[in-house]
Amino acid sequence: MLATVFAKTLRDRWLGWAIASGVLGFFILFGMYAYEGLDISFLEAFPEGYKSVLGLAGGIDAGALAISAIQGSYGSMTIAAMALAMGAASIAGEERKGTIGLLLANPKSRTHVLVAKMAALVLLITLAAIALWGCSVGFAAVLDLELGDMDVMALSTHMLASSLFYGLLATVISAATGNRGAAIGVTVGVMVVGFLGAGLLPMLDGGEDWAKLLPWYYFNGSDPLNNGIDWGHIGLLLGFAALFAVVAVVSLNRRDLKGQSVGVTMIDRLRANPLTRKLADKLAGAARVSSIWAKTASEHQVSLMAACAYMLYVQLLLGWFWRALPESMFDMLDAMPEGMNAMFALFGGGDIGTPAGWFQIETFGMMAPIMVMIVTISIGSNALAGEEARRTMGLLLANPISRSRIIVEKSVTMVFYASVVGLVSFLGTWGGALAGGMELPLGNIAAICALLTLVGLVGGALALAIGAGTGRKGSAIWGAVGFMLVMHVMNSMGEIADNPAWQKLSPFYYYLGSDPLNNGMDWSHVAVLAVIAVVFFVVAIPLFQRRDIRQRD
Amino acid sequence: MSDKIAIRAEGLTKHYGKVEALNDLDLDIRAGEVFGFLGPNGAGKTTTIRTMMDEIRATSGKASILGMDTHTQAVEIRKYIGYLPGDLAMYPNLTGKDTITYYANLRGGVDWKYVDTLADRLDADLTKKVGDLSSGNRQKVGLIQAFMSKPQVIIMDEPSTGLDPLVQRELQKMMREVADEGRTVFLSSHTLSEVQRVADRVGIIRHGCLIALETVQVLRSKAMRQVEIELDQEADISVFEAVDGVSDVRAQNHHVVMTFGGDMGALLKAVEGYYSIVDISTQSADLEEIFLKYYQDEEASA
Repeated sequence: MLATVFAKTLRDRWLGWAIASGVLGFFILFGMYAYEGLDISFLEAFPEGYKSVLGLAGGIDAGALAISAIQGSYGSMTIAAMALAMGAASIAGEERKGTIGLLLANPKSRTHVLVAKMAALVLLITLAAIALWGCSVGFAAVLDLELGDMDVMALSTHMLASSLFYGLLATVISAATGNRGAAIGVTVGVMVVGFLGAGLLPMLDGGEDWAKLLPWYYFNGSDPLNNGIDWGHIGLLLGFAALFAVVAVVSLNRRDLKGQSVGVTMIDRLRANPLTRKLADKLAGAARVSSIWAKTASEHQVSLMAACAYMLYVQLLLGWFWRALPESMFDMLDAMPEGMNAMFALFGGGDIGTPAGWFQIETFGMMAPIMVMIVTISIGSNALAGEEARRTMGLLLANPISRSRIIVEKSVTMVFYASVVGLVSFLGTWGGALAGGMELPLGNIAAICALLTLVGLVGGALALAIGAGTGRKGSAIWGAVGFMLVMHVMNSMGEIADNPAWQKLSPFYYYLGSDPLNNGMDWSHVAVLAVIAVVFFVVAIPLFQRRDIRQRD
Repeated sequence: MSDKIAIRAEGLTKHYGKVEALNDLDLDIRAGEVFGFLGPNGAGKTTTIRTMMDEIRATSGKASILGMDTHTQAVEIRKYIGYLPGDLAMYPNLTGKDTITYYANLRGGVDWKYVDTLADRLDADLTKKVGDLSSGNRQKVGLIQAFMSKPQVIIMDEPSTGLDPLVQRELQKMMREVADEGRTVFLSSHTLSEVQRVADRVGIIRHGCLIALETVQVLRSKAMRQVEIELDQEADISVFEAVDGVSDVRAQNHHVVMTFGGDMGALLKAVEGYYSIVDISTQSADLEEIFLKYYQDEEASA
């Protein structure tokens, strides 16, 4: 199977894609099942304009809702994220690992290698799009759901084009700069700004034109599920993707390859300068290596800052948007029948016409837990499994320090950082509420932010425990992400299905179930989340103590 | 060298599933000696060291360092040992100095003057990031952290990997100094010449079993070597063949060449009974040959 670069790339990557597609397929099935139990005929009575905002202009039934919610949101985000991770790793990843030199020592040109990797990327994205299309259509047939005029094929085609765009954007940055971090950072930035903008801007008068500047708009701006393929939009996405591919090949052929190295950061320059050396040494040198927890903290500054910046920026922006929303929007929302909120369950639920619901649906429901978990799961997975993968655990353990102390110190960092994200979210939401002139009790904001911190710690502590037991970073990350994703969907579906008993198995129920933005703190829910997190932290200790440290990957 | 035991292994065994990485290893290493642990790749050297460091746990048997059990008293032991893993990895974004500071902090401090001395002797650059160093220069940072706390026992897995000959020699001097101070060095290697130069005793391991444990002198005396003797008259080969340990004798006029493994004194005594010796030369055996001999014996008996 290793005959070619193309085959090796497929071999390294297929499993991740298969798992992601499988999980999404399961979600679609689960979603259809949950929506099917609802009486959603009332949605038919909605004004045409509102239905199109919700992506329901065509038929309205369980299958459509599930497909639009899962494939149109989770699914497209996931496939695009997989594509961009693979694109970013393509060339820069091999440079970072130092494997590019040997690879190119073979009689294959740089163009050959890059084209082979891009071909593998295109193939995997295409297979994933086909798989999701098959799940949506197939499960609807199995459950005997009417899809009516729904054009699942169009949605899948848009998803395919959009994922190609992000995957090849990451590839071109990776190939042109050799910097994997930059490739991921820029592409994620473009994707997230686009996702938010494409969702929010059209709500404003004249905002639709601005949304057209964002690539996400061309994924679902034309509502392909109801309106069919918009060939203009597809053409634009594919045109850019092809352009990225060409630029990637040209720029890779023109530049020097990087050796295995660690880039020069701002702090390094300050340390090299005699004027600033003393201070910089204190900040970057002595302080960050003063203890295990301080070193762990320094390693995760970037993800902490990204999460905090996001929460601050988005919450303030949401406040501003709230003020800018046209009156007609509120009239429409007021006219909404009860039960409508099921529509928003996937995004945390709530009444979008109230400040609490606005914040909950736009951030606290989905993006805020993602942000806090970017921090906690990366700390948790790197804490033990990461050190083992990088083979630094041996030397660390050669010091007179017990394995349990390593866990405790790294957990302290995780708790501290999760609390910082919670605090910044509180400040951002408070600021946003002020900017938007909303009435939100500070205590309620504090309550949801504290619960946010705790739900983040549940994910992070789970990653830590899986890493402690297996020593495998991949298992720690994907185990924790997968578990939390399933739990999130389970809670959302429980919300739709009128709070069945199984909903209470999901940690997310204890995060949002008490509706903290409206009702304030429910201390019993705080206790449940804290207990789950502590159990994961504590379980990690014996798991790690019993194990042989892994030597190599 | 004293009679105090620095490192002891008793029936140490490690299985990975069905693979027997280490089989019933018994070992006593005295305080104040440099002990060389020899074997080819995959023989079980690293497994032994990682078990002693409590990175992995023995399937059966046990080991102790300075009288403390390597598993139950692992944390206490580590106050007294310096360690250099094989296949060394450190944090690429830290400079050498940051790295040393980190480990020093975890140990509760270090004598920086001594660190500077070590860095000078090994010609190490501590200002660069570890990730930007060549593997040899990275190894120097690893060596400094192993030596810096003047530990009672220094355990090193293939310490001279990537070092140039000059630095290798300096490292050997440093190891001898440690032993002369009554401290102990345990090093694994497949570079036989290195062990030969620095070690007091050598253990040879193969397929997870210790197949020889000798002082370097005994190993050498056991070794086969080429002996060439020039005599005052024409030689009769039967005189030489009668001596214990002699084989492959060839004579040409006054000149005799043979392969010899045994006590040189006995050979000389036997020869001087018949002839007087004009000149003698031997090609000294190195561990390379000893190594091969042990392996061949093993293979023959297997």
